[in-house]
Amino acid sequence: MTAIAAGARSARTPWRGWRAHVLAALFTAPALLFLLLFFLWPVLRLLSLSVEGGSLAPYQKALTDGLYVQVLFNTALIAAYVSAVCLALGYPVAYFLANAREPWVTIGIVFVLLPFWTSILVRTYAWMVLLGRNGVINRLLLETGLIAAPLPLLNNLTGVLIGMVHVLLPYMIFPLYAVMRRVDPGLLSAAEGLGAPGWQVFRRVYLPLTLPGVLAGVTLVFILSIGFFITPALLGGGKVIMIAVLIESQVRQFLAWDFAAALSVVLLAMTLLVYFGLRRLFRGDLQWG
Amino acid sequence: MGAAPSTRDSTHSAAPETSGPGLAVTGVVRRFGAVVALGGVDLAVRRGELLTLLGPSGSGKTTLLKVIAGFEIPDQGSVFLGGQDVTFAAPAKRDIGMVFQNYALFPHMTIAQNIAFPLEMRKVSKAAIRERVDNALKQVDLPGYGERLPKQLSGGQQQRAALARAIVFGPSLLLLDEPFGALDRKLREQMQLEVRRLQQKLGLTAVFVTHDQEEALIMSDRIAVMEQGRIAQLGTPQDIYHHPANRFVAGFMGESNLMQARLTGPGTASVEGGASLRFAAGAVGPAGSAVGLLLRLERPRALKDGEAAANAFAGSVVEVIYLGETVKYRIRLDPGFEIVVRWPYRESGGSLKVGDRLRVGWDAADMQPVAWT
Repeated sequence: MTAIAAGARSARTPWRGWRAHVLAALFTAPALLFLLLFFLWPVLRLLSLSVEGGSLAPYQKALTDGLYVQVLFNTALIAAYVSAVCLALGYPVAYFLANAREPWVTIGIVFVLLPFWTSILVRTYAWMVLLGRNGVINRLLLETGLIAAPLPLLNNLTGVLIGMVHVLLPYMIFPLYAVMRRVDPGLLSAAEGLGAPGWQVFRRVYLPLTLPGVLAGVTLVFILSIGFFITPALLGGGKVIMIAVLIESQVRQFLAWDFAAALSVVLLAMTLLVYFGLRRLFRGDLQWG
Repeated sequence: MGAAPSTRDSTHSAAPETSGPGLAVTGVVRRFGAVVALGGVDLAVRRGELLTLLGPSGSGKTTLLKVIAGFEIPDQGSVFLGGQDVTFAAPAKRDIGMVFQNYALFPHMTIAQNIAFPLEMRKVSKAAIRERVDNALKQVDLPGYGERLPKQLSGGQQQRAALARAIVFGPSLLLLDEPFGALDRKLREQMQLEVRRLQQKLGLTAVFVTHDQEEALIMSDRIAVMEQGRIAQLGTPQDIYHHPANRFVAGFMGESNLMQARLTGPGTASVEGGASLRFAAGAVGPAGSAVGLLLRLERPRALKDGEAAANAFAGSVVEVIYLGETVKYRIRLDPGFEIVVRWPYRESGGSLKVGDRLRVGWDAADMQPVAWT
């Protein structure tokens, strides 16, 4: 009884009524102001830039010119490749992390995070050293006689994919890990006890239960991929054009602000489309979540 | 799980006689490092019988259940199901229906899909699955709940659904692992009776794990009381309640007065304070040896003036604990030892207060000797 009374009192007294609202507004105001000033304002400015000439010509160019449509398509395709490779590589790693014992969990997480803490620029240059015609990998393979001519690993799609997967893998692993940690091992035992062989336990129980993690990881990686700039710019060697690379060149080389702005808006629209599209796609399967 | 086959005792040849149709566990040992979880357990469950593994946490009952289900491989010994050695068989191959404490219903499947799961794994035809799922839902009194998700059901309903899933494929053994632990008292009592009725109606062989002695008494044909990885006593509920094999079982099977005493002759022993007590005869040891004397709370009675009993003492009330229908009294008897009694409120109880004097007595047959060690 006393506990209930004490609980009610402490819940009532400190932040009551309008004072709580004022306090909440005060606490969030700095961050809100920052976002308004440095995020919302530039986005709106960009929107206005794209239609500054009074016509939708930049949009028409972005969405109908074969060259640029190809870039948009490429961007989505690369993002899809990266998501698929990250999922294929990340799922087993997340499974290991979620089921290993200490200290292996901590060690594993540190290894996943280690590249995360390193500058993306440093990592991209490191890949250039590794993947080049005379890079570490090609020289090793040539000297051991495994290949006769250097493999084309840099300045092409392969290089871009390797670099992007490396950067984005943690974004796949951690959502998966978080979901896998919450899977009740009792459910797997139950499935087994009810007569399910190992692969059926995975297909019928584990995979559906970890699907929310798959969705979160794929969404995150895909969205980050379509806006990627540094890695495709450096490892693609000008041969792999993604939309962010295109936007940068439009501004820097051609000072075509209106077209760059239109492309940016298209990118933003793509991002939102992917986000809501994936959410809708999976919603039916996620009812229990 | 990683028991090296070389460390195993390989002398398990034929299934023992008793194992015929039910379940038999012979000489099962399971160690976890230096901890002996099961120290040589023998157990035979008859077909159609519900046997309860009763014990406190850490007594090995859950490990034994896992060995039976196939989630643990014993270091030594064997498990026979219906006469077949299944010691090393995977859980999926054992044909055992299991009900877990937390229900373990698959949250992403509807109740009907959950119940259909074991049938699908056994490649039952779609039409037959529908019929058997409907039938199972009726048996557990959940008709019409098939299309709901587990989270849309109450705890009791979820437990019924889990039960339906465990029996729908006609398992040769039903395992129940503290299935009512998460339910409130009233629902638990209702489910206990329902499960018992269903088990008897379907003639299922069942092993039930619990730490609740009252639940064990209500549900079981026989009870195996487990203590430190061994079976301390195996018998009917009446056996175990009235004739506990040792101090541990006596202490575990409900509240009682358990007094340490020293044997002074056949059917007599002296307790702390020097009083001589008469108990139900039985060979328990030579004079001078230690023995436990068990006296259930409801056995002593208040004696009227001049009324005699094999054990009769005057004393005074030290403590009164009101329990509703009954009242518990702690009574300090004049020779210098205490007993606790529980009397119906209406008969003798209501009027006694702390400090009141009274005479208490009980028959020799009310007092059971129990091995003290």
